[in-house]
Amino acid sequence: MNEKKQFCGSADHGVTRRAFLSRVGVGTALLGTSGAVHTFAEEGLTRALKASGKRVILLWLAGGASQLETWDPKPGRPTGGPFAEIPTSVPGVHICELMPEMAKRMKDIAVIRSLNSRNADHGGGAVLMMRGRADEPTVKYPDLGAILSKELGRADSKVPEYISLYTAAEGRDFSRVSSGFLGARFNPMKLSESMTPPNMKRLDSISDADHHSRAELQELMNRQFIAGRELPSTKSHANAYARVHGLMSSEQLFDISHESESVKQMYGPTLFGQQAMMARRMVEAGVPFVRVARAWWDSHGQNFETHQEMVPELDRVMAALMDDLKQRGMQNDVVVVAMGEFGRTPTINSSLGRDHFGSAWSVAMFGGNLKRGVVHGKTDKDGKEVAEGQVGAGEIFATILEAAGIRHDKEYHVGARPIPLVNPGIKPIKEVLA
Amino acid sequence: MPSDPFKFKQAKEISRKDILLSVAREPDTGRLFVGSSDSSVHVVDLAAEKAEPVALEGHSGYVTGVAIAGTFVVSGAYDGKLIWRDRKTLKAERTHKAHDKWIRAVEASPDGKLIASVADDMVCRVWEVASGKMKYELRGHELMTPSHFHSMLYACAFSTDGAFLATGDKVGHIVVWDLASGKPIKTVESTGMYTWDPRARIHSIGGIRSLAFSPDNSVLAVGGMGKVGNIDHLEGKARLELFDWRAEKSTKFVEGDKCKGLITKLAFHPKGDWLVGAGGDSKGSLIFFDTVAGKTLREDTVPMHVHRFVTSESADRLYLVGHNKISIWELSA
Repeated sequence: MNEKKQFCGSADHGVTRRAFLSRVGVGTALLGTSGAVHTFAEEGLTRALKASGKRVILLWLAGGASQLETWDPKPGRPTGGPFAEIPTSVPGVHICELMPEMAKRMKDIAVIRSLNSRNADHGGGAVLMMRGRADEPTVKYPDLGAILSKELGRADSKVPEYISLYTAAEGRDFSRVSSGFLGARFNPMKLSESMTPPNMKRLDSISDADHHSRAELQELMNRQFIAGRELPSTKSHANAYARVHGLMSSEQLFDISHESESVKQMYGPTLFGQQAMMARRMVEAGVPFVRVARAWWDSHGQNFETHQEMVPELDRVMAALMDDLKQRGMQNDVVVVAMGEFGRTPTINSSLGRDHFGSAWSVAMFGGNLKRGVVHGKTDKDGKEVAEGQVGAGEIFATILEAAGIRHDKEYHVGARPIPLVNPGIKPIKEVLA
Repeated sequence: MPSDPFKFKQAKEISRKDILLSVAREPDTGRLFVGSSDSSVHVVDLAAEKAEPVALEGHSGYVTGVAIAGTFVVSGAYDGKLIWRDRKTLKAERTHKAHDKWIRAVEASPDGKLIASVADDMVCRVWEVASGKMKYELRGHELMTPSHFHSMLYACAFSTDGAFLATGDKVGHIVVWDLASGKPIKTVESTGMYTWDPRARIHSIGGIRSLAFSPDNSVLAVGGMGKVGNIDHLEGKARLELFDWRAEKSTKFVEGDKCKGLITKLAFHPKGDWLVGAGGDSKGSLIFFDTVAGKTLREDTVPMHVHRFVTSESADRLYLVGHNKISIWELSA
């Protein structure tokens, strides 16, 4: 095939057939026209989703939010900083005063306060938390999104199976998402420049009727070609086209203007709020895994000012997600996790900042198969070490899998080698699982 | 003894485990009242052979403002409370829940009859010291930044004649209030002190951290930090801006060559020939500015990030408080 030839003969598309299919495979750039398949607006979709499986929204607190200014306050201690703690709807459990909405909803949340991830480097910590373990020299492990998209995605899905929203520039390179040995099929659709994939809209030079005709012709030729050729590559080719048609018809998925004013108000006016609202739309439409990155928490200077700015936003967005999912009857189907690559030091530095800290920090999650209103583990009085219930990144990873209905001890195979989803000996945190 | 910025040397240093956030000095005794991260006000008698601070409890948050006013020392903290203590007995005579959010600064009028407190509820409240009654509630600062995050009201300063009060917030908005009427009379903007990063990190840093009127009240000096590339750190240049506030006009700004980070406190020499600002990033810094020549006199580092300082009456001594230290410097020959 001539690589320079346009796949459909239109110079407007400006992409070769091979390049087109390649991009479909990695799930990045999309060709834009409106399609005939309207997966998103189907009546009863939520009901169907509930029957089909779980979904996960990861709120990725990039740069490392402080556990002391969120889930594990130490008021009155030299390390505690200036914020007070407040009681929550779970008797005896207190969180930082910056999270009043989460305090009201603590009865629905599971918090792990005893995470020792042993890595306080942005890149290393991000890979560790996203994959649950470090890569081996010969094996690159898939991250949470890739596994969930493989396990929870449907073969006939018309929507992306793994979406990563990371529009802030800082830290994006540190927290590379990766499908590892699962291959490009499970790589995410990355939305980094805006909240809408590029080239989603139908080009003005192509009429809707033209587009439909082309799609029908492509489908007809495809069917004829496949007939009598039951090969994986032909099926894959057809599936790739079907997925792209689904994506092209998902324009509404990325258009939050359709949300009611009351829902928009819940999430608030910030970019993080809007992206979280979009994540809800995505899981509602059947996307198994959406990561919404909120960067950048790396508060080496002015930690308290930074957290005073950012934690109330996190509080509002998490509360909105919880309420929104509940109102749609999806609270048991969607797991929401809030974590980053590490926490922050108990020691307050001379710039009133906190530095990187992986030895004793917190993760919060709710929904799915998680218990409600439970806190696992504790740190010492100054938050410097884990005092009870220590867990690592692997245990967090295994717990998220189980919360999403996936057995953590399942194995994949790379060639003949069996590879479990988590390292041998790693168990989920049963205290937070229902 | 005449003060001279070029005769600058450390006289004394007291190490501490806590973070010292505010300071006031009693003119007649020389005692320091130091607000601390341990929620106490510490009384430091520098004349004593061994200065053992006495802790005054009563707050439940970082003590960010201390002021000597008449027979009282008044402290304000992140708990939103103002506490009046008798200077002689050191007993708390009056406590007000003055603000719903963190109090960022407490200042006394030159005659000691008024106290002003500013807080993150974005309100400045002016109190009659003797009665404890609130005289004015000054609202001139937006609750939210243009990017929809909570703003902060960091600084206030009385004019030397006690007729005016200036307040400055996170986004660089400054209001000058007429204390005869409690009305705003002038506003100026020092937006160079505020960095909002909409692209890389999506949060902000900076703000108006210090204010001071010149002795003749013609100039309002504003301190903070200039624009920052990486807002994870206090790596911006220390920034000082001067205003002809009556004309609502910026007349001069300078940024430190060596000094980085925030200018958290400013003070004019009594004659108005120069002013000094202190603060820093992870280190401490001092910057002296010649107000007559309109240029920086000198920049220096000091042993710790400085949160506040006071001067002696003749400005020949600086009493700096900050991260884990009290540091006293002489400016006399």
